[in-house]
Amino acid sequence: MTSRERVLAALSREPVDRTPCCNPTSLATVELMDLVDARFPDANRKGEQMARLAATGYTELGFDSVMPVFSIIQESSALGCLMQWEGKDNWPTVKMSQPIWREPDDISIPSNFLTHPDTQCVLEAIRILKKEFGEEVAVIGKTMGPWSLGYHCFGVERFLLMSHDDPGKTMVCLDKMKESTILFGQAQIEAGADALTLPDHATGDLVSGEYYERFLREMHTEFAAMLAVPLILHICGRTVDRMDGIARTGMAAFHFDSKNRPQESMEVVDSRIALVGNINNPETLFARSPEEVRVEVRENLDAGVQLIAPECAIPLQTSIENLKAIPESVREWHREKAVSVGS
Amino acid sequence: MAELVDLQNKFLRDELGEYVEEEAERQRMVDLYAETKLSMQNIAAAIIDGRHHDVDRLTREAIDDDVQALEVMDDGLIAGMALVGIKFRDNFIFVPEVLACARAMKAGMAHIEPILSASGIDPIGKVIMGTVKGDLHDIGKNLCIMMLRGAGFKVVDLGVDTSPDDFLEAVEEHGANLVGMSALLTTTMPNMGRTIEAFIDADLRDDVKVMVGGAPVTPEFADDMGADAYGADAVECVEIAKRLTEESASAHQ
Ligand code: B12
Ligand SMILES: [Zn+2]
Repeated sequence: MTSRERVLAALSREPVDRTPCCNPTSLATVELMDLVDARFPDANRKGEQMARLAATGYTELGFDSVMPVFSIIQESSALGCLMQWEGKDNWPTVKMSQPIWREPDDISIPSNFLTHPDTQCVLEAIRILKKEFGEEVAVIGKTMGPWSLGYHCFGVERFLLMSHDDPGKTMVCLDKMKESTILFGQAQIEAGADALTLPDHATGDLVSGEYYERFLREMHTEFAAMLAVPLILHICGRTVDRMDGIARTGMAAFHFDSKNRPQESMEVVDSRIALVGNINNPETLFARSPEEVRVEVRENLDAGVQLIAPECAIPLQTSIENLKAIPESVREWHREKAVSVGS
Repeated sequence: MAELVDLQNKFLRDELGEYVEEEAERQRMVDLYAETKLSMQNIAAAIIDGRHHDVDRLTREAIDDDVQALEVMDDGLIAGMALVGIKFRDNFIFVPEVLACARAMKAGMAHIEPILSASGIDPIGKVIMGTVKGDLHDIGKNLCIMMLRGAGFKVVDLGVDTSPDDFLEAVEEHGANLVGMSALLTTTMPNMGRTIEAFIDADLRDDVKVMVGGAPVTPEFADDMGADAYGADAVECVEIAKRLTEESASAHQ
């Protein structure tokens, strides 16, 4: 199988020759930026540099997919949020202390949303990657869900307080913002994306599982029906209490965090959705050695997790050695299995 | 020792019964509320339930009835926030609910603060809090600040993306004896160490205690950087702030 076939099969929970290594979120590191001469902030704003940095996920690290959106702010910038682009060694962010919207009526998707430089560069990067690697490697795009957009455009605390005080009004806001999710998703599919990550940070570190049911499950089901490629929902943090709802959305996969145990998570989703994950970032990938990475990879494989990945955007100072340990450990595990099945 | 049935406010009885699972902690909370007047229990209950209009009204009424401002703050507002912190720590409530409680606390403090500052009563300590340079995560830091204020500290909030110099200047300007730093990114955690170094370079390190926290920060990391304490959540933040304040007070005698 090619890497692309492997990823797409695993996303549909079909048989694969080996478990794919996937990156629904960023694999960018400062080391890789230097290696290919594509550094933040330009690598977040120029399609060609984005594509060059994203390609390293395949060419240098040996993953089965490439993903050119290293941040979560491209569409927020196109929606008009004030930005802090940062330098090489930090991710760009939205200045949430100066939110752009307060009321549902304020929400509008600008007519240049898809031609804005910060969404255009993503589309261009996907086109380049598709052309260069499209036969062999899965090209993954990313479109932000309305809950995460709410944090950026309303400010996190104000958005969360609104959800507490006035769930009805919050639903109206989500409903208007989901337009962005669909438009940007569709544009990336047209540009050649094989699958889309859909981050929507309704995490257990911030909100209850009941919130997921009340505000998002139906909307996520709608996305799965409307966007014609496999969707990978991304919510970091504790989520096992809402994985049952997530498994019922019809999305292809859920990208889960190391705060949830692989075995327990697999039991909860019960073959209704593929899981992608969940190698710990700050403690393992960032601070430990390949041996500890290997232990976590194997725990996921033993549990039957369909695609192996870091839990979220990896720390920018993560070593290449630790990242390479992910595909290496996957291959090793499969070799051992083959031997034990053969004997 | 008081018992749960001794509490006059039914809401408090129910909340403690349902949400405080650990025996010793529950006893501590029961004792805390049992010693207070019903009107104070009602304020605490309104805080816990996030009803800011009620807290506003009940606090004003208590002050009009000549209850001491300090008593309203300690027995009503702070006592209420103590249970909010526990419920959040144990995942019974989440950030939106805590934000609503924080708003209720603010509504009450609006009546208390002018009285306290007019009467010149000292806060139990002064804390400078900020999220370190390059980091814009502030939800956790803000919850810590709210709990610190709830516990009677005066807190100067430097916001997010705070440079070592900003921390230094704030300590000098406000004469604070305690600095709290928050970081949520592995890329920005080292800026805690850099800030501590800046205090050493400026010959101010011995004048302040430093506490650190944030999801990726570990006790070992805190130790390596030379921080005085690490706190895992907002409840611990208040505990260590109290401990460090006592330590620095006895050290300066
Ligand atoms: C909400 C969130 C955001 C919001 C932030 C909004 C805001 N105003 O704070 C938004 C969406 C804007 C955001 C942006 C980004 N984020 Co973010 N975010 C989160 C998320 C989902 C929750 C963090 C949170 O608020 N937790 C709840 C609070 C209550 O917990 P807490 O902060 O830990 O605080 C508690 C304790 O730690 C302690 N504490 C905290 N501070 C202090 C201080 C002291 C002195 C003490 C004693 C205690 C203490 O008490 C608090 C209360 O109990 C986490 C993932 C997760 N699930 O944890 C990622 C996460 C922190 N983000 C991450 C990333 C990568 C980013 C971005 C770079 C994304 C991107 N690719 O563009 C940007 C970076 C922005 C920047 N420059 O800072 C990564 C960090 C990876 C790493 N370790 O380096 C995380 C861990 C996700 C992941 N799994 O990888 N994010
Ligand atoms: Zn994430």
